[in-house]
Amino acid sequence: MAPPENRDTRSLADEDLMHLVAKAQPGAFEVIYERHSSAAFSLAYRMVGTRNAAEDVVQEAFLNLWRSGGRYDRARGSVRTWILGIVHHRAIDALRRATVHDRRRTGDEGIAERLEARERTDVQAAQREESKIVRAAMDNLPAEQCQVVELAYFGGFTHSEIAELLDAPVGTVKGRMRLALDKLRGSLTGGLGEVRT
Amino acid sequence: MSEHAPEFTDSAASYVLRALPPEEVAGFEAHLATCAECRSEVQRLQPVADALPSSPDQLAAPPELKDRIMSVVHAEANLLQAAGPQADVPARRTPADATGERRRRFGLSWFGRPGLALATALVALVLGGAAGAALFGGGNSARTVTAQTVPQGASAKLLVRDQGGHSTLVTRRLPTPGSGRVYQVWLQRGNGAPIPTNALFGTSRNGSASVDVPGSLKDVDRVLVSSEPVGGSRAPTRTPLISVPTA
Repeated sequence: MAPPENRDTRSLADEDLMHLVAKAQPGAFEVIYERHSSAAFSLAYRMVGTRNAAEDVVQEAFLNLWRSGGRYDRARGSVRTWILGIVHHRAIDALRRATVHDRRRTGDEGIAERLEARERTDVQAAQREESKIVRAAMDNLPAEQCQVVELAYFGGFTHSEIAELLDAPVGTVKGRMRLALDKLRGSLTGGLGEVRT
Repeated sequence: MSEHAPEFTDSAASYVLRALPPEEVAGFEAHLATCAECRSEVQRLQPVADALPSSPDQLAAPPELKDRIMSVVHAEANLLQAAGPQADVPARRTPADATGERRRRFGLSWFGRPGLALATALVALVLGGAAGAALFGGGNSARTVTAQTVPQGASAKLLVRDQGGHSTLVTRRLPTPGSGRVYQVWLQRGNGAPIPTNALFGTSRNGSASVDVPGSLKDVDRVLVSSEPVGGSRAPTRTPLISVPTA
């Protein structure tokens, strides 16, 4: 249950909340966390593969946001995009530096380690709808294009590593990435706007 | 204004996916400053990359995670308050901040506020170092291992990063696992029983697949794949059809 002083902050837009976060107001940060933690955790979990490692990434990302909230610039995109960018960046750091994978445990979290988010708010329902749209667009990509995007964005592999893995020239891998993003752009144009408005 | 350089063809896509090798990032960012074509391509593709975080299944963050984060936030806020107004002055934005590339936005300093640097250090001490500890470190080298055993006509490779267990198995021309079945990844130490993982996967129409192999491969000798009933198994129900040595 939110403390009484948070009731007003809950009606504020993300961008306005960030002004309060920049002034080190925990209540505003808490609202931001509640709005975007599911998306952040989902992305981190998809990338690093275990609950513990995903929690580390999300904790690091949100504390980073708390400590540097004054740097948010709304001209550069939404708060959500900014937060997920931080999470992605942290997860890639973790993957490329590999230490996080030492924490991965096999069998201790079970095959069914899923924490299905409940659609408690309109925001979460919209996020789930957006998830469906993006996933459908990914599913419509040719397999070899989807594969390089998955390996790069969610696997944290560089195009050189992917080229070695696929026995393909680097130029081919980069070309597939561009084709994939081109097609995704075409598929997503309009669809996400309807969800976000 | 410099001309577009051929070596950066399609680098914009790799860049927005953060797949440029680290040693190439600075060169490409320097190129971006002078190449309108590549800048335009990055601007065109960036929104697509920004949409990708939406594609994973949406999961609830564990409640205890919020408790941990908020305990740090409240502790730091209290310290800032105790330190007085000077501690709460955001760092002045520098020209580099204002014109920096997208990546720099995410390379955020923990010490954007002078007072917060002290507060952070104090809280890190108070909380046993958990808040301020660096989570990640180590090197970054990867090697590729080719599978010794695969179905006829198929191939499989394992990409392993040293100093950690992150690995990815990639298959080509692998037959489908069969109706009501999935492929499951197993880890094997010596001649011991295969250890189940939660890595379950199917294949595309051309038999290609990419799957992250969970768990450190530090003491693992082989990565195996077998066809199992949907949902996976605790022990292989069929003979593994892929075997990849880890070394």
